[in-house]
Amino acid sequence: MDEQRRAAVETWLRGASGDPALAIIGAVLLSGGAIQQNWAIDVEHRGSVEAWVLRTDNAATLAVSLPRAAEYRLLQAAQAAGVTVPEPLFLCEDATVAGAPFFVMRRVKGIAAGYRVVKSELLGGGRVALAEALGQELARIHSIRPPRPDLAFLGDAPADAARAFIAAQRAALDRQHAPRPAIEWGLRHLEREAPAPVPAVLTHNDFRTGNLMLDEQGVTAVLDWEFAAWGDGHADLGWLCAKCWRFGNLAQEAGGIGPRAALYAGYGGVDDASVRWWELAAHIRWAVIAVDQAARHISGTEPNLELALTGHIVPELELEILRMTGVPDA
Amino acid sequence: MHEQPDGAALLEAARGVLLEELLPHLPEGLRFAARMVANAMAIAAREARQDGDQQAKCLAAVAALTGPGDAPLAAFAKAIRAGGFDPGTPQHAAAAAALMDLARARCTVSAPKALAESPFRAAE
Repeated sequence: MDEQRRAAVETWLRGASGDPALAIIGAVLLSGGAIQQNWAIDVEHRGSVEAWVLRTDNAATLAVSLPRAAEYRLLQAAQAAGVTVPEPLFLCEDATVAGAPFFVMRRVKGIAAGYRVVKSELLGGGRVALAEALGQELARIHSIRPPRPDLAFLGDAPADAARAFIAAQRAALDRQHAPRPAIEWGLRHLEREAPAPVPAVLTHNDFRTGNLMLDEQGVTAVLDWEFAAWGDGHADLGWLCAKCWRFGNLAQEAGGIGPRAALYAGYGGVDDASVRWWELAAHIRWAVIAVDQAARHISGTEPNLELALTGHIVPELELEILRMTGVPDA
Repeated sequence: MHEQPDGAALLEAARGVLLEELLPHLPEGLRFAARMVANAMAIAAREARQDGDQQAKCLAAVAALTGPGDAPLAAFAKAIRAGGFDPGTPQHAAAAAALMDLARARCTVSAPKALAESPFRAAE
């Protein structure tokens, strides 16, 4: 963060916090991509040093400034519902202060990296306790239901989340060039087996190992709210349980972390058949995202080896989609 | 025609150098990128070695299901979406088998470990 920007943010934070002596004494870029930046900032505030995170967009991407404000309001709603999230502190929607809107939240300690999380027997008090805790977090997220004027940016809830999902995936495939018969096969299977519509709840839509900050006591933060939407809560359970998000630890069906039964027990009132439907949907969704990511590389708009390699996850997902729909393996 | 070793063999040799000689000397922050490079080289080498007959066979099986036309995969995808190969249709089992062969052929290049057992088992 250059001096000028840091001074502008500091001045704004003094006003927002009502502390004229507030001072930013350290700022380190945690992660910066083409779109977002996350800064770890240490702040002297009312006599103590506080650890915060400043989340913003690059100035070049002002068109997507709404998501930061939206994410802040989602954090507020989640916190009010008892979900463990980084405490949202301040939102600055004025792009002239730092070049783009930003918000500040409390910094959370813990481990999120998937491959480390699934290997640990100790995180969250052990696998069973942690899977239960994840079920409880999801239940709290799903206690948020429309209508919610504070979350108006989410739009109207779909009348039938399952059929809306199928339509959205097909539309995404139609935007790409290569035909995807195996993914179509999975979608058609979903269409035949679609569960009856249920009342809409807030779904996180990326609640999986890797986006969950954990320590030995439990969940320290549910992160990455940018895909949240109104939908069927079973979608979140299916996404978490999908084999492709178990980071290789297939025996622990809840995200490679713990037993499925413990997750369900923590959540309470799970329709297992519906979760299984959304688990197949999860593999399809990830395959379609991977196709889109590779296309960003292939088209030349964003040459990037990681995006390119993501495309090569698609065949493996296709194989699993076919197996899940009962196609005999050769 | 081309000089030996061929492209696939060169990629494999170069990948060995990258992983065994260079990677241990890289700072932690660059190792992820180096592993991605190694992964890309492995995929490219497998693609170069893939049996062309296998692909042709897969496509011929698809073409047999969709009938004449110059874009059998697109026709196949469209027919699946429309329910043309649903359970209970005459070609359901043949379509399922063709899809499985195709997916397996694609995994031979992109994710060979997925063929042996369940996908997603390998945590690299």
